[in-house]
Amino acid sequence: MHYAFILLLFTFIEICISEEDVFTEELLIKPLNADNVYTHFHFTTKWNVPDSGFSSHSRIFPRILGEIIERYNVQELHIGLTNGLWRYEKWGYPVVSASPGGEIWTWFKPDTKDVDKNWKELTNSLSGLLCASFNFIDSTNTISPEFSFRPQGIIDNSEKVNSSYLKYSSLPREIVCTENLTPWKKLLPCNAKTGLGSLLNSGYIHNTRYHSLGLHLRRICTDKYCSHTGLELQQTISLVYDSKTLGTRNWSLIKFFGQGILNSCDLAESSTIYIDNKMNSSNPFRLTLKPDEVITSIRGGTVSEFAKYNVGKTIFSVGVDYLTQKEVTINQLPVLYAHQYLSGYGKENGGLVLKITNNHWSELDVVVLQNIPWYLQLYLHTLKITVGDKMLKPIKLKFKPGKLRTRYHHLEILLRIPAKSVATVSLNFDYTFLKWQEYPPDANHGFYIGSAIISCYLPLARDFVGLPQDGSMIRDSFNASRSGYLVQIRTETLIVTLPTPDFSMPYNVICLACTVVALAFGPLHNITTKRFILKVKDDRTLLDKIKAKLGINLKKKED
Amino acid sequence: MKGLEQKNHENRNSPWIKCIYGRLALLCLSAAAIRYWLIFFSKYQTTIADHLEISTPLNSWKRVKEGLYLYSIGINPYDGDMLHEIPTSLFFYQYITEKLGLSTGVIFIISDIATAIILFLATRHYMFLIYVEREVNKDHYAKETDEYLYTNMDLGKAPLYVAATFLFNPYTIFNCVGFATTVFYNCFLSMFLFMLLSRKAYMSSLFLSICTSISFYSIILTVPMWLQFHKQFKGKLRAILSVIFFVMNFAVLLFIGHRLDNTNAFFENVYGFILSVPDLKPNIGLFWYFFTEMFDHFRELFIFSFQINATILYLIPLALKFRNDVFLLITALLYILTIFKSYPCVGDVGLVISLLPCFKHLFNYSQQQFLIFVIYLVTFCLGPIVWHLWIYSNSANANFYFGVTLAFAVAQIFLVTDILFVYIKREFCLHFGKKRKIGQKDAILVLE
Repeated sequence: MHYAFILLLFTFIEICISEEDVFTEELLIKPLNADNVYTHFHFTTKWNVPDSGFSSHSRIFPRILGEIIERYNVQELHIGLTNGLWRYEKWGYPVVSASPGGEIWTWFKPDTKDVDKNWKELTNSLSGLLCASFNFIDSTNTISPEFSFRPQGIIDNSEKVNSSYLKYSSLPREIVCTENLTPWKKLLPCNAKTGLGSLLNSGYIHNTRYHSLGLHLRRICTDKYCSHTGLELQQTISLVYDSKTLGTRNWSLIKFFGQGILNSCDLAESSTIYIDNKMNSSNPFRLTLKPDEVITSIRGGTVSEFAKYNVGKTIFSVGVDYLTQKEVTINQLPVLYAHQYLSGYGKENGGLVLKITNNHWSELDVVVLQNIPWYLQLYLHTLKITVGDKMLKPIKLKFKPGKLRTRYHHLEILLRIPAKSVATVSLNFDYTFLKWQEYPPDANHGFYIGSAIISCYLPLARDFVGLPQDGSMIRDSFNASRSGYLVQIRTETLIVTLPTPDFSMPYNVICLACTVVALAFGPLHNITTKRFILKVKDDRTLLDKIKAKLGINLKKKED
Repeated sequence: MKGLEQKNHENRNSPWIKCIYGRLALLCLSAAAIRYWLIFFSKYQTTIADHLEISTPLNSWKRVKEGLYLYSIGINPYDGDMLHEIPTSLFFYQYITEKLGLSTGVIFIISDIATAIILFLATRHYMFLIYVEREVNKDHYAKETDEYLYTNMDLGKAPLYVAATFLFNPYTIFNCVGFATTVFYNCFLSMFLFMLLSRKAYMSSLFLSICTSISFYSIILTVPMWLQFHKQFKGKLRAILSVIFFVMNFAVLLFIGHRLDNTNAFFENVYGFILSVPDLKPNIGLFWYFFTEMFDHFRELFIFSFQINATILYLIPLALKFRNDVFLLITALLYILTIFKSYPCVGDVGLVISLLPCFKHLFNYSQQQFLIFVIYLVTFCLGPIVWHLWIYSNSANANFYFGVTLAFAVAQIFLVTDILFVYIKREFCLHFGKKRKIGQKDAILVLE
């Protein structure tokens, strides 16, 4: 099939693990442009799972995750908790991309009986584990993407990838803060007390332009012949620092995190810091500490240089001093990036527009995944994909229409975007009028629409720092030339204001509407059950009538 | 009787009647021209079609287009939440849009004009029935009650008034121009009226079953149909047969729908949708704001009571009271449906308003004409204004629009109760005279 290259191929992950579990920690520091510095922590734990199962004792691997995996029959688990938006145009691609807010996707094992039930319970457990609002995830806001995700680890039978065992959901409104970081840090073997984890002080981390927590669990082979499978846990934190908030362009670990590394984590097999030297050519800087090693990596035709530091027992900090004054540099746009926005005005109907830019000199095949809430009623016949003035026909289109209060819309489009062009995908929708109790407390704040995910196999590795599928550490990405480099771009989340009723009115409305109903009932009841008769006209005035009545009463009393 | 029919037959062939046809043709042509201009030459078509008074989730053409599109790319349109038309309707729309080779606008205009003509024919039958009734009962009527009776001139002209009201009523014009599928429903409903009044048992049950399959509420019209044939055949068997025909036709239509759809999702999406009111988009009815503001605890109770109120609450009392005048009964029931059904639109209102000229002889005695007319006018203008203020300029809120729909419902309730009230008053006067005296004393007429 012509879109088959999108599907990830399952290569055996040939990683030999001699010990039962291994922990490595890495930190990649990459100056993105003159102003921003990207720091990416990558903690990898591999566990050669014993035959007694996932809940059995492990030396390093967090047992709680093992229990969750066993209990809910999870094949693979990916979680992202992000604050801020990754700006692809300025920053290139991150090691792990994540959409603003919370995001979670899981592959269940094919022998799972009730996927929906397991999914609901899994998200509830994770909600407790990470103090995030994952408990709000249920079948009403979950989709099963067909083309956008593939298992990243090994699976039992590589021919059968059934997307009904995949559950994806995002929580664009989620606000990520210290309460998520603390439980996340507890999953680390050295618990943020020693090693690279000791840098993660929440006061400094939440001062950044972008910060993203990640937790990725997958199954791997533990030997060359894949006779035994193990678990791999990748814990990541991506941060983007802005020199304007730091106050100076020269940076160091102390500036970033308030302290250097005091001592190394004894449980870690290795503990390394890499500094990307690429920006040195345009904005020359000097490393404050001589690196232990300089690695030159050639990947997909792109040459990059990394300074490598091994974290030892001594107190230690690395940093950079810029040699010249700030120079204006031309920002080289990445190969593929995308933006999403709303069109239309008023609260009756509107449109969703997605703009995907292909900067490459040849055409690119992309998969667009839109996960649109049910409170927007989509009109698929208004779907318009244009490149300039020309209409673009999708190679394949997968649409599962949403249903009021029960299911999100799931739209996946396979597109071939011509070279050096911008494809615009637009879609119209109606806003839904909700019941008054369905609105959140601050109803006029609006409702969120999650990011669109654009997946593409890039033919070149420019701006690409992601790990290859067979790698689990940053060092695996050096010199890792492959036939394609998978990027998944997450666009902006959107916010729509739905029309609101008057929340103070329920009693009035019920009374008024019932009055109108009664207004019909009265006369119709009279007309149908009574008949006309002539009655002698009573000429007495009202006063006379009252008197007469009282007279009767008096008489009665006298009696 | 024979002589009367003969006389009537002669009447039809007289030049005066021919002139009526000429006028009808003129009316149809000018009404078609107005619609044609609005659809093809003015820029208002989409604005009108998007208006919530015209397009409800049940009858919006945009949703039909979505359904047809989803169907064409192999997605079951009943899987989602956009389409609430039955599969047979969907195939009908597919046929008329793809196979017929006419533009959608032209099809809507043709159906609307056809509806007017059928209504004209149907009401002419009704007028004939009234004429017969008048001639037969002439001797039983009290003295000096001629003013309560239809003149021959009125009898001849009422059908034309019906057609004119239907054709030039802004409600029906907007309904047609906005491509609301109520246009087709109205067409089938008028066919039912025509067949019923021309006393064709099978055909009327067929058209009623089509109407019922489109909008489930029409099922209550089986009662007037039964009454009509019971009266006509003077036997229960054939009247019951018409109801059996109806049930059979309805079952066949549902079965065809099921075969076309292959799943039974359409039941929930069409009839479940009509009955449980999940989409609370405002319309001219009473349901939307009531169930927006309803406490979840009581939602089901009130859905049941509102649906019963719209359908069977008034059905039996009205059927008993007006069993002699089936057409009036149908008009009253249609009116009550239009007021109380879950997703009413102006197309429904337009149809029932156009039936009113048949009761022209009652107008002189109705008391609230002016009030009703003013409320109709005010709500017609104010509705879109407060909607715009609420949704687009954010300076009003939902209560404003709710107020307008309440006033509109009140006007319609006044209208229908007024007409029924005048009707029974007229019946009384025809039989007991206009004098309001018992012996020498003054008396008043009271309902007791």
